Amino acid sequence: MTPLQTKVAELFENGTITLMIGFKSALTKLPVPFFFNTASQVEQLIFTPECKGNLSVYLHKPEVKQAKKVGLLANISTLRALVQLTSENQLGDIEKTVLTMNAQNEVVVFENMDEVEVYVQANFPEYSEEDKKLLEQLNAMTRTERWQYWTDQFSACVKCYACRAVCPMCYCSSCTVECNQPQWIKVSSETSGNLEWHTTRAMHLAGRCINCGECGRICPVGIPVHLLTAQMNLDIEKEFGAKTGFSCHSGYALNTFKAGDKEQFIK
Amino acid sequence: MSEQFEPKIVAFVCNWCTYAGADLAGTSRTKYATNVSIIRFPCTGRIDFMLLMKAFENGADGIIVSGCHPNDCHYTSGNFHARRRWMVYKSMLDFMGFDTDRITFSWVSAAEGTKWANLVNDTTEKIREKGPFTEFKNLDYSNFEKINNDAITD
Amino acid sequence: MEIKNIKSSDIPAFFNQLIGSGKVVLAPVLKKSGKVFFEPVQAYSQVATDYIQTGFSAKSVVFPKVEVLFSYTKTEEGIELKDSIADIPETVVWGLRPCDGSAFNYMTEFFLKENPDAYYAARKEKTTLITVSCAKADNACFCTSVDLNPGSTSGSDVLLTLMGEDTYVEVMTPKGKAAIDTSAALFTASEEKNKDEYLAKIDVKFSMEEIKEHIKTAYDSVEWKNVSMGCFGCGACAFSCPTCSCFDIQDEGTQNKGQRLRCWDSCGFGLFTKHNSGHNPKTNQTERRRQRLMHKFKYSVENLGIVSCVGCGRCIRVCPAHLNIFENILSVTE
Repeated sequence: MTPLQTKVAELFENGTITLMIGFKSALTKLPVPFFFNTASQVEQLIFTPECKGNLSVYLHKPEVKQAKKVGLLANISTLRALVQLTSENQLGDIEKTVLTMNAQNEVVVFENMDEVEVYVQANFPEYSEEDKKLLEQLNAMTRTERWQYWTDQFSACVKCYACRAVCPMCYCSSCTVECNQPQWIKVSSETSGNLEWHTTRAMHLAGRCINCGECGRICPVGIPVHLLTAQMNLDIEKEFGAKTGFSCHSGYALNTFKAGDKEQFIK
Repeated sequence: MSEQFEPKIVAFVCNWCTYAGADLAGTSRTKYATNVSIIRFPCTGRIDFMLLMKAFENGADGIIVSGCHPNDCHYTSGNFHARRRWMVYKSMLDFMGFDTDRITFSWVSAAEGTKWANLVNDTTEKIREKGPFTEFKNLDYSNFEKINNDAITD
Repeated sequence: MEIKNIKSSDIPAFFNQLIGSGKVVLAPVLKKSGKVFFEPVQAYSQVATDYIQTGFSAKSVVFPKVEVLFSYTKTEEGIELKDSIADIPETVVWGLRPCDGSAFNYMTEFFLKENPDAYYAARKEKTTLITVSCAKADNACFCTSVDLNPGSTSGSDVLLTLMGEDTYVEVMTPKGKAAIDTSAALFTASEEKNKDEYLAKIDVKFSMEEIKEHIKTAYDSVEWKNVSMGCFGCGACAFSCPTCSCFDIQDEGTQNKGQRLRCWDSCGFGLFTKHNSGHNPKTNQTERRRQRLMHKFKYSVENLGIVSCVGCGRCIRVCPAHLNIFENILSVTE
């Protein structure tokens, strides 16, 4: 058994957890989320660099909430998501035991969210080189070039809502897309409606997105939707000094204000 | 004789300041451009950013968003929240390449009837010069009759 | 069925002639994202050849992601209705895989069997399917488990199998023949050849006979919860699947003009089965995922006599959690 598997078996045995959320390898050799509740299944648990999913999203599932004592395997983005969710008071009803593998490949078990916060602040992730480059390229374009780029991208969107489904911050039990009195977000997939959907989603996530990049990675038609919120977060950090997923007690940039907020464009 | 393009401008205004200011412009018999349709909100804090895009989708060529000056909000802090929201939203629209010059944000108080009239006039002229918002209207809205599988692009 | 041969080096000329004959040709194109999608193309040089499978299927040629059923405009005289079937061009889909070709059998049964769908019929009538056999496969492919294979002609009008300098051509239908005839000079007669050495080798994961038997009692399996826990309830699998045909009807418009649209829908969405009364017969993701898999392997067999899964593996590749349909079917039928 690997050190990780040994640790998780221990957590089951001493009753710390009743459900573990991690990864296992499917017959396709691709990692899939793995939910198990006995130590006997622990040998299927893996945590390789291919295990990219942000498992914190499953903490919103009713079946997981029922389990009460949940163990969660986390990479640095998942830890950041947990910090942000804690600051939004979304994780109070589950006793979580969070595990990660640090840079030295050692298993780290966090007793509570304060420890997670310390770890996250010490290992705060940067944007990937690829994303930095793309953002630079986009910001260097003229307005009409950017418009062309994004409308081209959104003409391909099929409104599968995988981006929403995979996001740990999209936890509204009744999403704006589900409202049909009035139909704010069209059901049909066409460019202007898709633009509206992505704008709405990006605004609802501005100042909350923890930049795990999952939405862009899993988009079935390859739209880099994660760049929208990445840019938003950069702007919000610059204007208001707020970093997402940094502190368990931070506020939300868009429901607070400072009387001294400055802008250049209001006449 | 060619007809001058008359832009359609939609104004999202707060009830207590800008709407009253517009009223004042009216009672003072100030003449100003008639291109604007005013939508009255209790406060700018109530203006959902989605509504701005909906206005464009329904045919607006330009938008005015206006409310009480900071520190004068009838509900104390509604306009402070609105200000932050607009800063983020404008930045997002700029990043998407949306023509944010077509949206004018302002603070117009109940005493500023003239400011309101000038604002409408200036905005109307600016949008008239820019022309109709064809960039947005030309997105393939309502044009599903094109063969399926239009090029999914890069 | 006719068997022909064409020099592999003549394929681009054949392809370009199809375009020259005025048809719309959809072919797999490699995008910057690294994914391959069917798109209208103007020349063979745009066609991707080195890939396993396209991201989305070609079903949108007969079942578009958004289809106008009719549109209305208010005029001075009254309301003008416009039907939408009229202007569908002759279309060739090039570069389908045999699994995709077979998927059209299911779609045709589904849309035309009992209450023929005029829109599907009109589009299918104008569509020619030119399929290319698979020389390669990946771990998500499992056509050999659902009674298909990488060289199957089922559902296609023409099947091309690359055999080095020659390409083996199986012309299955009159439509296929019409396509070949646009470049008749490039084709020569051929005797029957064995394709096996040119086809991908795909391990059989399960026996369809056994699955069909065991799935009869699978509804109450305790494994459903385990195989569904990872499911987020998005539409990626349904939208990429070549046989998923569920749709939503939406009316969009104003007093003065508008249209009725048929849009893709997914049984994974929470609201898919919600009634107007507020009652939802499928309240959790386990029940929804069970419905999806049972539909593919049991209900479509009962209703239309066809297993609606063709083993293309797209659902596995696009799923954000890479949930594995064939592994899950095995778990619940154990």
